Amino acid sequence: MSKTDAELLMERETRVRHGPVDLDVFGYTLQPGRSHIEADRFLLRTADGLSFHYRKGEGITISRRPGADCSEEQLWLNGSVYSAVACINGFVPIHASAVTHAGHVFAFTGPSGAGKSTLIAALGQRRLPMFCDDTLVLDLSDPDRIICLPGHKRLKLTADALELTGIEAGEKVGQDIDKYYASAVAGDVASPMPLAELLFLEQGASASIESLSGSERFMRTQDDHYTAHLFAGARQLDRAAQFAHRVRLARQIAMSRLVRPWDRERFHEGVELAARHVLAEKRL
Amino acid sequence: MTIIRKLTANFTEADVDDEIILMRLDNGELLSLTDTGAATWRLIDGRRDRRALVDALAAEYAADDGKIAREIGHLLRQLKEAGLIAES
Repeated sequence: MSKTDAELLMERETRVRHGPVDLDVFGYTLQPGRSHIEADRFLLRTADGLSFHYRKGEGITISRRPGADCSEEQLWLNGSVYSAVACINGFVPIHASAVTHAGHVFAFTGPSGAGKSTLIAALGQRRLPMFCDDTLVLDLSDPDRIICLPGHKRLKLTADALELTGIEAGEKVGQDIDKYYASAVAGDVASPMPLAELLFLEQGASASIESLSGSERFMRTQDDHYTAHLFAGARQLDRAAQFAHRVRLARQIAMSRLVRPWDRERFHEGVELAARHVLAEKRL
Repeated sequence: MTIIRKLTANFTEADVDDEIILMRLDNGELLSLTDTGAATWRLIDGRRDRRALVDALAAEYAADDGKIAREIGHLLRQLKEAGLIAES
């Protein structure tokens, strides 16, 4: 199947080369552990000696300080840098992991540690293919529907999550990161698909799924502070335009709250409920 | 007769499902209106006064005038304080 314009654009814009990165490109020296996004440019300097610069049309340049932890390079590229490139090119990144069923994407979001990747891994064991882990990019170019662009295909799981799901560990994500790459048991999907639903992972006494009302959905469009900040920085929308953008997301994205007990022994309850919910989708 | 009108330069609004979301343009403050609040907002057309709003809403909800008047009074006070409506 041939790639869409959006996929080709992201492929072209995320090409990488290694070389010097100007840390003063925004008129001041960017400090370690900071990033800056503005219009067509993004700069990120990690605390561990890696620097990333992206400019629209020029791709990504990576600079490594001698002794920098190179294993983390891919992690930054597939996370913050990928999200920034998406924003600058008019896409909307969400901090979410997703599976597919019946030609649609079901995405699960929540703060770091909420169990997004673990849930996706467990849903793979229920034959639901993975769509992405950690970063979901939305293409809003069609005014009538929201399309998800296929993302990075390696799960990143903690030792605890590997034990919980019984999935085999691959290489370590980074020297100082207690996560391991793993493959999705049910495989993955590499073509764009419409978004069926965005589910927010929450903790509670028992497993339940509840649809969110209009204003709740509107408020949730700002839940992901980091990507919302990136989008606002890249698009430089005024207040009214940001409002219109959030209204569109709230109108076009079905959203629910997936509540699960935060207890290892009852982990399967949330997984079973999520699997039943996704498998009930009949659209193609 | 004191007419109630929206100060349209001060806010932007959108319907999401049955709810109305209003945002003040000066500070980004959000207000969500549901049920009778949303119905009242839709009835504010620059021609009605408080009495006309109460009558229209009481007819729509088949509810007691006194209760509706209290609810509308509370909402109008809130909208006025936020600079979203004026009475003149």
